[in-house]
Amino acid sequence: MSTITRRRACGLLGLLAAGTLGASALLAQPAAGERAAPRTAAGKPDLSGIWIATGALLLMEGEEALATARAADAAAGRPPGNSGEAPPYRPEAETQRQGFLARRGIDDPMSRCLLTGVPRIKFRPLPFEIVQLPERVIMLYEIHHAFRFIPTDGRPHPEDMEPSYLGDSVGRWEGDTLVVDVTGFNDKTWLAGVGTIHTEQLRVTERYTRDSFDTIRYEATMEDPAVLTRPWTIRETFRLRPAERIREYECIESNEDLLRIERLLQEQAGEKTR
Amino acid sequence: MRHHLLVAVTAACLSASAGVSAHHSFAAVFDSEQPITVTGKVTSVEWTNPHFHFSLDVPAADGAVTSWRFEGYPPNMLVRQGWRRDVTLTPGATVTVTGWLARSEPNLGAARNVTFADGSKLAAGPPAGTGGR
Repeated sequence: MSTITRRRACGLLGLLAAGTLGASALLAQPAAGERAAPRTAAGKPDLSGIWIATGALLLMEGEEALATARAADAAAGRPPGNSGEAPPYRPEAETQRQGFLARRGIDDPMSRCLLTGVPRIKFRPLPFEIVQLPERVIMLYEIHHAFRFIPTDGRPHPEDMEPSYLGDSVGRWEGDTLVVDVTGFNDKTWLAGVGTIHTEQLRVTERYTRDSFDTIRYEATMEDPAVLTRPWTIRETFRLRPAERIREYECIESNEDLLRIERLLQEQAGEKTR
Repeated sequence: MRHHLLVAVTAACLSASAGVSAHHSFAAVFDSEQPITVTGKVTSVEWTNPHFHFSLDVPAADGAVTSWRFEGYPPNMLVRQGWRRDVTLTPGATVTVTGWLARSEPNLGAARNVTFADGSKLAAGPPAGTGGR
């Protein structure tokens, strides 16, 4: 099977799997006391706005804001963000992950200012803006000044994909949920947490459901049979922050820690060869 | 060491579970098991990315002065915490910094909070964590 044919076949399987998963979230209803999500002229929920992951509130706005958000989610029946579930890695991959943890994350690609992949980029403690247009959705991240153009006009992934940090995204609507199929990744990012490695076989299915005016329920299912024993799903709630704006982000200007980390890595490499 | 009088290394293990840093693993460079509190006079402030840095002169009882260096949030995060460049933290001011000691350099710290002469306090950097999600 050619690479392209295999990717198409995998894509179809991904679509089918995502369709099954999405059945329960076809219609997004706000909880009591919450405002309904705005809708576009075409009747779809409008995801446009500036958003912050709930887990990022600790750094962005402090402990009180985080506690308030968590309480609101519990009252509305939203699943808590970080369940603490261990990723379902194959034994060899889990050994590698434990190695990265034991090294305290000094190998983190993010510390080298490399683009953060999907879904990890969604959880960074900086806001991102979603601009929803009739035939595409644009995501603008403050971190790394990264952006994603997500066509929603039915086109497939391009045939000339090269492995990339953020992969290639195509979206479609399942009821009130925007489902984004992301593939074409390189193997140079971590999925969600220290040492969460993956291969170029990675496929991520993201689901965005604006279930109230102020919240988007987010779910990312990661499939990578080379390292994972089964699909790994993580969830988060994004919160609308209309008073925020996307500010400048620069990663290399005075990245002294990069020099420190390089020195630590060299010291460790030296110890190995002795 | 001379600065022991002024650097209170508290026994409390501050939260190491936050697991969210702006762009790198906290634990790669800093030691969450070594919280520090340092009071001194600001000698420099570098409003740079992806971290800002500032230095303090910290006098010991015998009059000797040790220079401490701290790193914290980048400007985009500092502004969100209420900081303003050239206004909030200026050379000559006396401040108290809480944070964590670096693993490999004796007078380097990750700043978590800065308390100013008027008693006000602002977050200056992330909580200790492991890089998390």
